[in-house]
Amino acid sequence: MANDPIHQFRLHDLVGPVNIAGYEISFTNSALFMGIIVATITGILLLSARKGALVPGRLQLVGEMWYGLVDNMVTSIMGEDGKKFFPFVFSIFSFVLMANLIGLFPYFFTVTSHVIITEAMAFFIIGLVVVVGITKHGLGWFKLFVPHGVPMVILPFISLIEIISFLSRPLSLGLRLFGNMLAGHIVLKVFAGFVVTLSALGFGGVLGSILPLGMTVALTALEFLVAFLQAFVFATLACVYLNDALHPGH
Amino acid sequence: MANPRDTKDNPDAKLGDISSRLKDLGGRIEAEKSQTTAGTQSSMKYQGASDYSKGYRLASEFVAGVLVGGLVGFGVDKLFGTLPLFLIVFLLLGFGAGILNMSRSANRTPPTAEELRNMPKPNDDDDEDK
Repeated sequence: MANDPIHQFRLHDLVGPVNIAGYEISFTNSALFMGIIVATITGILLLSARKGALVPGRLQLVGEMWYGLVDNMVTSIMGEDGKKFFPFVFSIFSFVLMANLIGLFPYFFTVTSHVIITEAMAFFIIGLVVVVGITKHGLGWFKLFVPHGVPMVILPFISLIEIISFLSRPLSLGLRLFGNMLAGHIVLKVFAGFVVTLSALGFGGVLGSILPLGMTVALTALEFLVAFLQAFVFATLACVYLNDALHPGH
Repeated sequence: MANPRDTKDNPDAKLGDISSRLKDLGGRIEAEKSQTTAGTQSSMKYQGASDYSKGYRLASEFVAGVLVGGLVGFGVDKLFGTLPLFLIVFLLLGFGAGILNMSRSANRTPPTAEELRNMPKPNDDDDEDK
């Protein structure tokens, strides 16, 4: 089990199987960690906003930077009228970031390493784009798929390609986050497993295991970078896609 | 915030006439701006560190395009019972969509960099997260 790199992604019920109307809705470790994530985000933000000092302390600075980062992202991509989506983007960013970071603790479960979670978020974002686009612009929103300045002869092909390109967005959005988290955690586990296997070989093995140990440390640092970066990329792309709903002109 | 500047400003620009003070202020703003761009330089390094994620992003855009094209083609074929025909057509279209996605996302990377540039304060935050 120690050397099984997939074992960390296994779901198990915490309170026994719960079935309602044929659907299993058990409380799993994934659900537990989602609760922990939300509680952590709420806790940090509430604590950092508690004082509201003019000159921020360390914790308040974290909260302000957190807010400022997402605020800048939203306004620089969507403009001023994109502010409506600030709460949404902030929630998405915070959830993904905290899920990635909490998953880095040993023995903790990484919520975003399950494709169903990331794809659910991605499809929700794209669904929101379609709903907002149609309610704001009516059928004119579908001009998104008809780029102007294209000759009539190849227009059907181009718009077909545009539609496929649009449909592939949720897939790539969700798969990217899932793939990064899954691959990172598996690689980490595999290299850490080398340490155990090598050091069982005796003195030479213990000496040799320094190499994969160093690699594990380096990979952990890389995983922290990836955890932040993927949350950032996920939120940025959510903004870019939502921008298509608000301003379908380009 | 204006007060400490003024008291610092007055002994500096002894002439007291407004235009020279304005000039001084402009120079100071310029200096501050160049400082911010210096900060941007360091965040360019951060960009370099994220080449890995950029490559991964492009690859996933392309794969997703082909996958969706194949899926749509397969679905159409299932509907009309013309199995290989539309699968092939839509796979090719999906290939095109993948290329389109990739070139779009490669052109889109500047906004991400610009966005990092646009944030004077969160810039520091990024450096911290590096």
